[in-house]
Amino acid sequence: MKIQVRVNKLPIELVSRTDETLLAALRRAGFQSVRLTCGIGVCGVCTVLIDGSPISSCLVLAPAAAGREITTTEGLADDDPVAVAFQEVSAFQCGYCTPGFVLTARALLAETPNPSDLEIRHAMAGNLCRCGSYLKITKAVRLAATRSRLDSN
Amino acid sequence: MMLDPRITGRIQYAQDQHMPGMLHARILRSPYAHARIVSINTAAVPRDVVCLTRDDVTDLEPLYGPMVKDQPVVARERVLHVGDSVVAVAAPTLREAEAALEAVEVEYEEMTGVFDPVEAAGDSSPVLHESLDYPPDLRPDGRNVCHRFRLQSGLGEDGFAGADVVMEEAFSIAGAAHVPMEPHATLAYWEGGRLHVITGTQTPFNVRRDLAALFRLPEERVRVVVAPMGGSFGAKTFMRLEAVTAALARKSGRPVRAVLTRAEEFVTLNRHPARFRIRLGAKRDGTFVAKSVDAWWDTGAYADCGPSVCTKGGYAAIGPYRIPNVTVDSRCVYTNHPPAGAFRGYAATQGVWASERMTDLMANRLQMDPLELRLQNLLRDGDRFATGEILQDVRFADCLRAAAEMVEWGSDRKNKGLAVMLKGMQTPSRTGVALDIDAGGRVVVRSATTDMGQRPEPTQRALASQALGLPMEDIVVGPNDTDLVPFDTRTTSSRSTFMMSNAIREAAAELRRRIADRLEVASEDLVLDGEGAGVRGTPGRRVALSDLAGLRAEGSFATPGGLDPDTGQGVASSHWHQSAAAAEVTVDSETGVTTIKRLHTSVYAGQVVDRPGAELQNEGSTIFGIGTALLEAIEFADGQVTNGNLSDYEIPSILDVPDFTYDFVEGGQHAHGLGEMAVPVVPAAIGNAVAAAGYRMLDLPMTAERIVDARPAR
Repeated sequence: MKIQVRVNKLPIELVSRTDETLLAALRRAGFQSVRLTCGIGVCGVCTVLIDGSPISSCLVLAPAAAGREITTTEGLADDDPVAVAFQEVSAFQCGYCTPGFVLTARALLAETPNPSDLEIRHAMAGNLCRCGSYLKITKAVRLAATRSRLDSN
Repeated sequence: MMLDPRITGRIQYAQDQHMPGMLHARILRSPYAHARIVSINTAAVPRDVVCLTRDDVTDLEPLYGPMVKDQPVVARERVLHVGDSVVAVAAPTLREAEAALEAVEVEYEEMTGVFDPVEAAGDSSPVLHESLDYPPDLRPDGRNVCHRFRLQSGLGEDGFAGADVVMEEAFSIAGAAHVPMEPHATLAYWEGGRLHVITGTQTPFNVRRDLAALFRLPEERVRVVVAPMGGSFGAKTFMRLEAVTAALARKSGRPVRAVLTRAEEFVTLNRHPARFRIRLGAKRDGTFVAKSVDAWWDTGAYADCGPSVCTKGGYAAIGPYRIPNVTVDSRCVYTNHPPAGAFRGYAATQGVWASERMTDLMANRLQMDPLELRLQNLLRDGDRFATGEILQDVRFADCLRAAAEMVEWGSDRKNKGLAVMLKGMQTPSRTGVALDIDAGGRVVVRSATTDMGQRPEPTQRALASQALGLPMEDIVVGPNDTDLVPFDTRTTSSRSTFMMSNAIREAAAELRRRIADRLEVASEDLVLDGEGAGVRGTPGRRVALSDLAGLRAEGSFATPGGLDPDTGQGVASSHWHQSAAAAEVTVDSETGVTTIKRLHTSVYAGQVVDRPGAELQNEGSTIFGIGTALLEAIEFADGQVTNGNLSDYEIPSILDVPDFTYDFVEGGQHAHGLGEMAVPVVPAAIGNAVAAAGYRMLDLPMTAERIVDARPAR
């Protein structure tokens, strides 16, 4: 079937079977930042934002995303404060989980512009990083929050 | 700012590689731990699906393996573990490949399996491999033992006669899963009789050698291109998916890509479960007199690098101590578990757990401060280790003191623990590197160091920059392709920064000589900087680097050595990885949950080349250690993995990780590897802290259930 969605602010038609996940449909459409890892919604690697909320795309059937606004890291602006903070802090190693963390952090900061460390940790608990970059990820989210606040002032 | 492709997700891992006409592979795996294959019927598989069975590989070398040739491309007469590859298929879509697996019928006759290394070596166990061709440096020893490493120094066992106190204890360490976020992935195709493989591997030259041997080709007819890996931690060492993918590509005449599922990851390669019995003898004043290490390593159905694991874990369990009389007897044993191999912390994790828990048990018995007992016995500069080699550049005490200080060891020792380790680096090994000046005036580093997220690119650019005197911007790292890079043993055992720093220094000196020759000046008078090449004292004489395009220089570095497998004497490591950890915990006596209050690792770093990389690697190592200490164990039931998913097999999340600290002990002449230094010491330090809280833990992981079981009687 054909599914109309918006991905990174552009209208896109996804071609999918009815029983296929959004992850598979997005990858076939060329959004390779979305990657399959655990397949059961616990690792957060395949996170996309659906209408601003972080969702494991391995658990969403593609047709269920019809009409929704999807964000992947392919759509990041070069000056995206979260992405820039991850880069400056070197908050990643192999990078495989990084898009999921960046998108989850963006959703957090949209809801909670001034999160405590505990709020950051709770928001990030659904994303796993096997390389173990958690200390620097927390630092990067904190830095992005500080900058965003300064900008909005 | 140009965003890093790892942040945008645009980086191409092996699983993202694609070619026109490419087929997708899936593998039919054994549901039995040990069975005879009665028949394989592929008649119902659709015609456009390529199906690879034992009948398709009869013209190949029958077996491959990095140390023992014991592994077939697909099973022949028997399957030896749950998940053993039986039939492989390749189809235009993954869905068709999966459907084809359903159409294959395999009839098995189940056989008795064996799942314990001690039992497997006993006379009544099934023999897993009937006749194998062992290389001369291995010591197969009786039933299912593929290697036995023995060491004796001083009087060996007789040395215990000189001890006032002798303690003996048994320890165990569970198998663990690497869980790289990116699963194993390989793309293979044949072109003009030449095999091309694009794969996520830490060992491109091993893969090239083993593919060439398997397909009976000269090595030049195999090309291995290494894609950046979405994590590896030892999982992507030696031949994994490459053989079966190449065989499918050969049969189909098309490019074939194989990507493992998460469940398959748990039956592909794991960490060795290990069992130890340690005896330690000391004088009443704490001086260590004698130690014996008896170790059993469950290498699963195929040896992989298990013989090397049992060697390195055998001597790691001696610990960084002056002990005049030592024996080690370490056996690597086949069982019907999935194969075990390299795993971050390579064998030291298991050995250090047993050794450092034993050190604390002895301190308790002697009623001594565990820090003082360690400091009293630690190896110092110029001391001889049990292997006979003299140690130089020794920093054990510096690391241990720094760690102890961070948990305020001096104020009180309640709920606190320490650990210190020595870990060898792959020895012997060798590394080559080339530096090319390209048409754009950049120096291209041609290196086989693989990228699994440890930042080899900034590291090698920094090394070349320092050695040449050129700015980092003028240096790039070329593609990792066996056609383009000089030989390197492999990217393992935290060896690459150390080895490459030496090889790059030599290549840089040679490149400077060649540039000087071109300018017809002496090497000492050559000036290299962001403006190109010039001559000291002659400001007018300058050439741009682009005018020197085509100049190339090679450098190499080798570390000789190796241990005699019968005596354990020789050179175990060209230099030593040295680290210590200190932990403070609380243990909930009702739930058994351990909370880490403070955790510090202190690591001998030598010269730090890439600081963000150094920090990230040590943070990651520490977190790996936390997982090993408290969470991670592959659960088996008769050889079947019962927790092979990321819901039941827990790796540390951000909530499992306390705000820990670490420091690098810097200095010396060399860059030291930093990829694994915290992994072995963190579980042992936490274990000693848990023991100080009253829970005498001897087995890893220290799950809440085990801690409740170890609850002290009230």
